[in-house]
Amino acid sequence: MEGSSLSQLRIFAAIFTISSVLISCTTTANSRYFGRTTPPADNVLRYVSGAEPESLDPQLPDGQPEARIAMALYEGLVEYGPKDQQPIPALAKSWEVSPNIDEFIFHLRDDAKWSDGTSITAEDFVYSFRRGLAPETISRTAGLAFFIKYSEEFKGGKVFVKKGDSYLLAKDFGGKAGEKASALFGPETDFNKFIKSPARLALNGDEKKRAKEIAADLKLAAAVEGAEFVPVRGEDIGVEAIDDYTLRINLRQGAPFFIGLLAHQFFRLVPQQAIEKHGKAWTKPQNIVTCGAFRVKDYRPYDALIVEKDPNYWDAANVHLDGIEFYPVEELATIMNLYKAGAIDAMQNHSVPSSWIGEIRQYKDEYLNFPENATSYYAMNTTKPPFDDVRVRKAFNLGLDHEALSNFRKVTKPLYQISPSGIVLDYDKSRQNAGEEIRKERGIAPEEWEKDNRFNQIEAHKLLTTAGFPVQKDGNGFSCPNFPTDKVSITYNTNENNRSVAEFVQAQWKQNLGITIPLKTMEFKTFLPYFKSLQYDGFAIFLWSGDYMDPYTFLSLQYGKENEGGTGFYDAEYDRMLDEANAELNAQTRFEKLARAEYYLMEQLPMLPLTINATNWIKKPYIKGMYPNPGTLLPWKFVYIERDPAKWDKDVENIMTESDPLVEKQLEGLTRTQREALK
Amino acid sequence: MLSFIIRRLLIIIPMALIVVTLTWGLIRIAPGNFYSGEKKLPAAVEATIRKKYGLDEPWYKQYGMMMSNIIRGDFGDSVKYPGQSVNEIIRRHLPYSATLGILAYLLALAVGLTAGTIAALKQNGSFDYGSMSIAMLGLSLPNFVLGPILVVIFAFMLYWFPPARWGGFSSLVLPVTTLAAIYAAYIARLTRAGMLEVMRSDYIRTARAKGLDEKTVLLRHALRGGIIPVVSFSGPALAALLAGTVVVEKVFALPGLGDIFIKAVLNRDEPLVLGIVAFLSILIMLFNLIVDIAYGYLDPRIRYE
Repeated sequence: MEGSSLSQLRIFAAIFTISSVLISCTTTANSRYFGRTTPPADNVLRYVSGAEPESLDPQLPDGQPEARIAMALYEGLVEYGPKDQQPIPALAKSWEVSPNIDEFIFHLRDDAKWSDGTSITAEDFVYSFRRGLAPETISRTAGLAFFIKYSEEFKGGKVFVKKGDSYLLAKDFGGKAGEKASALFGPETDFNKFIKSPARLALNGDEKKRAKEIAADLKLAAAVEGAEFVPVRGEDIGVEAIDDYTLRINLRQGAPFFIGLLAHQFFRLVPQQAIEKHGKAWTKPQNIVTCGAFRVKDYRPYDALIVEKDPNYWDAANVHLDGIEFYPVEELATIMNLYKAGAIDAMQNHSVPSSWIGEIRQYKDEYLNFPENATSYYAMNTTKPPFDDVRVRKAFNLGLDHEALSNFRKVTKPLYQISPSGIVLDYDKSRQNAGEEIRKERGIAPEEWEKDNRFNQIEAHKLLTTAGFPVQKDGNGFSCPNFPTDKVSITYNTNENNRSVAEFVQAQWKQNLGITIPLKTMEFKTFLPYFKSLQYDGFAIFLWSGDYMDPYTFLSLQYGKENEGGTGFYDAEYDRMLDEANAELNAQTRFEKLARAEYYLMEQLPMLPLTINATNWIKKPYIKGMYPNPGTLLPWKFVYIERDPAKWDKDVENIMTESDPLVEKQLEGLTRTQREALK
Repeated sequence: MLSFIIRRLLIIIPMALIVVTLTWGLIRIAPGNFYSGEKKLPAAVEATIRKKYGLDEPWYKQYGMMMSNIIRGDFGDSVKYPGQSVNEIIRRHLPYSATLGILAYLLALAVGLTAGTIAALKQNGSFDYGSMSIAMLGLSLPNFVLGPILVVIFAFMLYWFPPARWGGFSSLVLPVTTLAAIYAAYIARLTRAGMLEVMRSDYIRTARAKGLDEKTVLLRHALRGGIIPVVSFSGPALAALLAGTVVVEKVFALPGLGDIFIKAVLNRDEPLVLGIVAFLSILIMLFNLIVDIAYGYLDPRIRYE
């Protein structure tokens, strides 16, 4: 009996070894390409889009897979540029921006059509924006549109306060000052007069909550006496169809990045005709009406979404593919298998498993590793000791070798500040200038300034010691006996990457500071409330992808009392600095002011920067016009299949700088209208 | 017999409701909710969601509402996939799981019964040792290991079958084989044990004494008794197979119910979880009933009142 179980064990061990050898054999870079590299017979792209889309309604979900699908099916005023993600004309052929950057006029194409053949007009945009912002639409991304005047009030079901013939104004009741009166921009209409008048006060729509709100403010209580409460309506938000092909948008404050934001799926058109006819069933394949380059051909949830080129699309002549098949596959090894077998042509970002990266990055014609508009941090709970002490927060930052962490992660870059570098290049310059000014103001030597926020063990020990946690030499390493390691931990949601980062950081701090922080892992949905309600102690993982190409998408994480940052941090001065920067009309001055605010925030350091993330996916060399831009947001009409192997992508490291005549020509044709309008 | 069946059928519904209630309680105890995501929802949007799904109501009202809907057979819409009803999702994905499950079960049965029977007849022979060793291997090799091994061999070295995704018979070969392996191994071992016991029993000796040929003894008398352990194993096994098999569905990217169920739990998609749990519990009870009925036919000693 013993003999036979031993032999079974041997067999098992043999099989296991064989299989590992087999797997490693077949993944070794012994040919130029990873797996089968034959273009598909038909002109259809096969793309793994990640998780099953929550909905084909572009206004509801907030996930990346849905964003990419929405980009095929729907179009908005502008589209993301294929390489730099900067806005290019889409349904709007050109636009004008008011001097205060709070009013925009869009000139729409007059030949754009829905997939059912009806014409697209400015009214469709008015409908779409009102629908997305209506209180009953459960949109996860509606917050992005809150720059539009009164949209937040509309979404929140708030009420204006009407007294006699006039309304109470926000500025009289502690509203944000600094609202600038601006000159007329575009034709004068009744709506325009209303929307440009000083902002009205809006109170809670819920009677009980409103009573509380009023009771808390004596001046307000006196003012609302005998007043009438008028619900904010969709008609009140700052979106106006001047005529069939002219749309005007008014913001509550200047937002220089607003045009870039408009390419987001939330701002893409939804079909009034289908929504009103079919209700929530409008996204079913038999009911759906779309306005993008592609339309739904077949939808088999959890298996494939098949879209085909829409002949009604205004730019159909420049759509290269006949269709796209989106496959919802999440298992990374399975995605790689499909790719290797030649069953797919490209995959969504972050699809190469970390254990495969070393191997896959050798395929230089396929592997795409580029900076991403996304960062990772450890949020620190600033409401609980010891991390309520900025010295402790800084000590842990200095005690971590960011460079080593990035090398360990293979495809990321070290992050030393709050917003990533290498994404908005003008901002990088402004940040350097602002840093230089601050250095001079404080009389710090350049070589000292260079070290700012970089790994610095001695400084970290000093800071910990002054905070009451002296670090001692202990044999070959250090120890910090006073530090309450039982009261802190690194908390993260269960995930292979999160775990390996946490273990690495833990080891670093043990080695550099003599402090071993325990690790704590939990399932994602358990982690979220634990993190957001500040129940965690010490550190918690915090990943952020920018919603638009501007540092404000990162800097605003700590803006306001109820901010996204999850650190419990609030600083009125920081808010003031950001407001002041955003009120700035000159782009460069604005960036410098934002950079000043960022330096100010780094002095407080509510979150510990870890890495600038990087794209991590592969595509077949015959797929062209598809670029690893900072959000991997792919404008599909640029993508094409190259059948001539001589023209296939080579050495994709240069893919962003090399010019593809076909793409350049297409881009040129699209951006021409806006360039001409600017003249 | 009929009254036994009716009694058992009647008990299924209340049992399923109890299971649903317990599941509902568990989901409610679990931290987190379906609408939380990485990005903070605007307070206004969160309030809309809570109102729409009645989350502001006291728990007993919510429970009452849910139960009254479920009793009418309406599990409502998935909260993760707005616009898709739970019934629709189950109806749409059950066929995938069922095809996979039934094929795997049939394959397992064919291989397992044959190997088990021969092994029992040739006890301690080389076939017995060989087949039972393979069965042991099948039992101890988890399908997330076996699946990729098959993919490497048959998709990347021989190019016989696609490595993943649904689409035609050839795409089913690898997942069905992966899934069947462990069941075939179980069935082989159960059949062998059952047959060994039966072959030594008195009625087989009687049958042989009557002068029946070995084939008749084996097929008509021994096998009926010998596969009773297989039958009792088959009920829950078949239910589990029909309801989806998460690992194989994941490894081969198949649109079956199992993966959807797991994701529903992770997403806190309460209506979908409750729908699948109710469906699953009814399925398991039905299969158990079928197994019990089958006993009666296979073994004359078992009778139900």
